[in-house]
Amino acid sequence: MIMRSRNLTVTAIVAFAGLLLGAIGASAQELAPRDWLNKMAGAVQTTNYEGTVIRLQNGKVEALKVAHMNSDGVIREKVIVQEGNGLEIIRNGNEVQCILPDKKSVLVEEWNDQSTLFSTLPSSDIRFGSEYDISIVRQGRVAGRKSVLLAIRPHDEFRFGHRIWLDIATGFPLQTTLLGSDGEAIEQVKFADISLDEEMHASALAPSISTENFRWITQPRRTITHAAESRWNASDLPNGFRVVSTHEEELPGRSARVIHILYSDGLANVSVFVEPTSGKKIARRSRVGASNSFSVESGGYQITAVGEVPAATVEKIASSMQPD
Amino acid sequence: MNDAIRMQISAFVDGELPQNEAELLLRRMCQDGDLRQQAAEFLAVGRVMRGERCVAGMKHLRERIAANLDDTSLVQEELVADKAARPRFLRPLAGAAIAATVALAAIIGLQQVSSIPGADTLPRDAAVVETVESDSYTVPDQDDGQLRDYYLRHTATSSYFGANSINARLVTLQLREDVDIDSDAAEPAADVDQESDAESAGSSDAQTP
Repeated sequence: MIMRSRNLTVTAIVAFAGLLLGAIGASAQELAPRDWLNKMAGAVQTTNYEGTVIRLQNGKVEALKVAHMNSDGVIREKVIVQEGNGLEIIRNGNEVQCILPDKKSVLVEEWNDQSTLFSTLPSSDIRFGSEYDISIVRQGRVAGRKSVLLAIRPHDEFRFGHRIWLDIATGFPLQTTLLGSDGEAIEQVKFADISLDEEMHASALAPSISTENFRWITQPRRTITHAAESRWNASDLPNGFRVVSTHEEELPGRSARVIHILYSDGLANVSVFVEPTSGKKIARRSRVGASNSFSVESGGYQITAVGEVPAATVEKIASSMQPD
Repeated sequence: MNDAIRMQISAFVDGELPQNEAELLLRRMCQDGDLRQQAAEFLAVGRVMRGERCVAGMKHLRERIAANLDDTSLVQEELVADKAARPRFLRPLAGAAIAATVALAAIIGLQQVSSIPGADTLPRDAAVVETVESDSYTVPDQDDGQLRDYYLRHTATSSYFGANSINARLVTLQLREDVDIDSDAAEPAADVDQESDAESAGSSDAQTP
């Protein structure tokens, strides 16, 4: 009798577990791709987490220890690069300290309120035109957690694609990959292990080394910007890109203000800088991380486009800039 | 052809379709010329995007696929021609190019996507700040503060709209490290803070995204 009761209990537990797993699987399928992105946007802002991140870029693999806590709206974060110079980033609200142990220095800078370490997409205000297909590819496991893979595929060659593995339970991005037009992985960030929404000790967010006798350096001079209307326009913008902001900026070492126009297709951003030619040549094409730049001279002005887009895109935009 | 099957083919070309679905799709492709054509077009678009030369015989390849499902020699021949034609600056893309051409091979029944060495590896580039190598590219000035300013301003402004990743942050920090720490002009924090605060306060429309 006792044996039979135990068997029934085991059967009930197995059945319940099956139902639970089925429910999780079903909910992952029921959410539309854009709902997943919205869930992710909320998760990166509100979820507390601690873990190890593997970062792949430029053929290099780097491990980072990361911790993030949102305490009454104040974001606190810590990142420690496990290789190389052992860079540590300590964030408390808007103030960010970048500790460079090898140079006995601390860089201090300000990040805006919206920034979090894993918000890879623009805010929902400007997110997504119709230049991408968003789809759920499949479910799997990342960092030991049940996840769903979202694919954001561009319609043309002028923007990168994204593959994002989201934690099914929370929507937190456990792995993000930026893909070139031919499927080439340009950069990838992936959690090897992660604790989500667990209680975190204050020491998890404190510097791991003493900064006594370190040199503290803030931004040399904040860039002063002025809202402005520009007479410069791109005559051959790739589909979906539109002006998001236009400013005149006083950059260090410049006698004239620089016009800065930000274009976005809702996902990819491209900045165009226009200033009088100074006689000093800058690289016509360059690349920093996943960003490309293209610079061209026209009518006494130097026009440079910079953005996390393929080289062809910055070239197309910069080359088509014209004054009214 | 509906969007679902189109997305499935796109995922297949990207090497992201699960094995069981890929096998089913391959079977359907053997029966359906439209599916094969769609897959071939996805691959061809990728090649054009990379700026590779049009592969001779590509147009006729699609018809031949239907007639010669086990004819691999043509693909091998084109892989060799493709390698020879690839410009020097496209070589870092070799891993992805292999993945794409292998996917083409898969269409005709070879199913070797996962077995190609390097197909899933990241391209190997040099430094954080680099200029793309090509004969037509201007050699960059590594101390080009103007370009660096542009990158920093772009990241800051993009970040203002919420688009910032940990990679962008770290790259920015590496750039700032070059600018601020290695610069002889770097000043202690207190002095600079006062100066910048005063300037910001003096400008009525100043804002720093």
